[in-house]
Amino acid sequence: MSPAGNSQPRSELIDSMYKFFLCLRYLRKRRIAFFAVAAVCLCVAMVLIVFSVMDGFLRMVRDRSRGMLGDLVVENQSSLQGFYFYQEFIDELKADPQIGPHIQEATPVIYTYGVVRYPDSQITKPAQVSGIRLDEYRKVNDFEKGLFYEKYYPGTTTLAPQRIPGCAPTAEGVYVLPPDIEAAWQKWWASATPQERAKAPIDKRWPYNRVGQYWPVPLEELAASDRPGPMWYGSELPGIILGTDMCATRDEKGNYERYHCRGEEVQVTLVPITESGQLRDATGPVRDIFRFADDCRTGVYDIDSMAAYVDFDRLQKLLNMNYREWTDEDTGQKVVNHARASQVQIKLKPGADVLAVRNAIRARWDAFSGPRLALVKNPNLMVGVRVLTWEEKQRTFIEAVEKEKYLVTILFGIISFVAVLLIGCVFYMIVQQKTRDIGIIKSVGATSLGVAGIFISYGAAVGVVGGAVGTVIGVLFVHYINEVQDLLKWISPKAEVWNPQVYIFERIPNEVNPWHAAFIYMVAIVVSMLGSLIAANKAARVWPVEALRYE
Amino acid sequence: MSDAILHAVNVRKSYILGKVVLKVLKGVSLAVQRGEFLAIMGSSGSGKSTLLHILGALDLPDEGTVVFENQDVFKVPNARRDRLRNVHFGFVFQFYHLLPELNVLENTLLPGMVGTSFLGWFSEGRRRRRYAAELLDRLGLGERIRHRPNELSGGERQRVAIARALVNRPQVLLADEPTGNLDAATGKEILGVLKTLNQEGQTIVMVTHDPVVAAAAHRIVHLADGRVTNRKA
Repeated sequence: MSPAGNSQPRSELIDSMYKFFLCLRYLRKRRIAFFAVAAVCLCVAMVLIVFSVMDGFLRMVRDRSRGMLGDLVVENQSSLQGFYFYQEFIDELKADPQIGPHIQEATPVIYTYGVVRYPDSQITKPAQVSGIRLDEYRKVNDFEKGLFYEKYYPGTTTLAPQRIPGCAPTAEGVYVLPPDIEAAWQKWWASATPQERAKAPIDKRWPYNRVGQYWPVPLEELAASDRPGPMWYGSELPGIILGTDMCATRDEKGNYERYHCRGEEVQVTLVPITESGQLRDATGPVRDIFRFADDCRTGVYDIDSMAAYVDFDRLQKLLNMNYREWTDEDTGQKVVNHARASQVQIKLKPGADVLAVRNAIRARWDAFSGPRLALVKNPNLMVGVRVLTWEEKQRTFIEAVEKEKYLVTILFGIISFVAVLLIGCVFYMIVQQKTRDIGIIKSVGATSLGVAGIFISYGAAVGVVGGAVGTVIGVLFVHYINEVQDLLKWISPKAEVWNPQVYIFERIPNEVNPWHAAFIYMVAIVVSMLGSLIAANKAARVWPVEALRYE
Repeated sequence: MSDAILHAVNVRKSYILGKVVLKVLKGVSLAVQRGEFLAIMGSSGSGKSTLLHILGALDLPDEGTVVFENQDVFKVPNARRDRLRNVHFGFVFQFYHLLPELNVLENTLLPGMVGTSFLGWFSEGRRRRRYAAELLDRLGLGERIRHRPNELSGGERQRVAIARALVNRPQVLLADEPTGNLDAATGKEILGVLKTLNQEGQTIVMVTHDPVVAAAAHRIVHLADGRVTNRKA
């Protein structure tokens, strides 16, 4: 009793050869299975595309959010007046043996609202005016990366008082920039890669063949000068950096066309608010004139279309937020107005535990502010101070996108269950058609579990094939998603789905996280197997004698 | 009885057709000797196919036992019974019952694949393939192994079914009207194949309604009205 077929005693042949063989054969020979494969393929591609774009969007939002703030902020969220003793607190933090070593840089910032006016063109715009210490601010966040002139003329952007850099023709009639500006340009040119040089937005309409826009030095200035040529001219005025969308328009390709020259006058009108939150009736709005030094792009349109950055001390003084000592004429008592700032931004050293430092700073602030409450006119401004991580500060912004990401993914996941139903129907039909064959397979000794296994393997095979094709389609689509949009726009300009002004970023995120892709692929396989369960169960219940009775 | 390979005792089976209980087998006892060619004869509806299915562990009796090589076929776990069907019994049906998607060789290999694991097939596949091809060659299908069932004649299809039934070298070959769907000449040819197999030692149980076909067997058991009789039905 040892026939060839009996050589391997096995009680349950779950992994029998025929399952693989038959499921692959059915996959190839049953055309109806292609519908199931196509459904899985499309669903996988769809979910992968949606998830990747949303995830990329979220990542960009997070990067930008962090880039705008540094790691931690100390601020009084609930008021425009800011809070007191910011500098003392910064100094104390830096000196603190626990906190100090983690701090890379900390800088105070003032935020206020105002109106920007260009006297030359007599155009007026609303603005969110920030007072920053440029030297510190650029170390705390990514502000510097967005500066336009500073990129091509490194070291030339400042908020300090400055004159107008003017170009002038040489004896040969070639227009050139002032020597220090030209030297900065040469410095950039030397450090730039060939690609960067080719991408530099040199405006050919201007005669000096350089990036950006410069006035020609007026003739009377040239005549008055003992060394006529390109030079800084005009009166000294403090610098201002404007959001790029405040001073430039963007064309369809996303390139900016700037319509203000470096050094142009910019008028800023502000409304000082007293410590108690009153508008100052005595002085009314205050006004100051600045020179346009640079434009800055954070990439967030809402900010770039409103932002104006001026020197911290200057803005503080304009808003009466600086330290002042004076004598009250009525009472003859000495009065002190302590300096105020809206926010302190803190950049931590790499590797620092952001939450731990935040908690330490919170504790520090409580100890720091307590004894000083009695010194100030409005203690509420001190009590309302919060210490937040960049993520907490931007929570509403980030969370909205996070929620959107999961919501959209869930929606598309639900739509994907259509694929499960389709697989269920297709497989049910196949089992219905194949009842006799199932009977045959059982008659030669296949177990019920084994027959069910054929269809579950079949489901898995549909998932493997459909998922693989879908993943490839999804990855390619995401990779070329901007080109796809360009194509749509070319066919019809109205087809632009990604409006940079709506979506903050000019390009659609086009990266696929391989782990996400693998996860979606696995889910597709599991879901396809689930889709085959009902049919597999039906197949397992086929009674061979019934199935084989008739032809 | 001492050399009985397959032994049915008092087998009863009924079907429910609507509200009527149809008693198909009313206590059938039967012994199949090793190496025997047994024909079960009876008219249509006499229960002979049902008896064959029960003998081959393809169907369950309501009562009674079937003993194969000293083990009660219906008292072992399902998996063991499936294994019996796979290894120890080979079925040949009137309507051939080949899988249309598979070619001749693949159809023949099917029981072998059912009994072999995926990994086992790598080591055993070649040997099984060779044996199946040999078997098909002996049955005159050597040139047809890549053909699909729908490209074959009835006789050829039945020979494929016989090859499939034999591929795991079963102890008992169970044939249900193997010539029932064939013309006289082809039927005779299939009967010749069965006779030759029997001469080589294969135990065969064949169900038929045709006395001419039954005459090929060593012994004929008549079935009438769900019972074994001595008279011809």
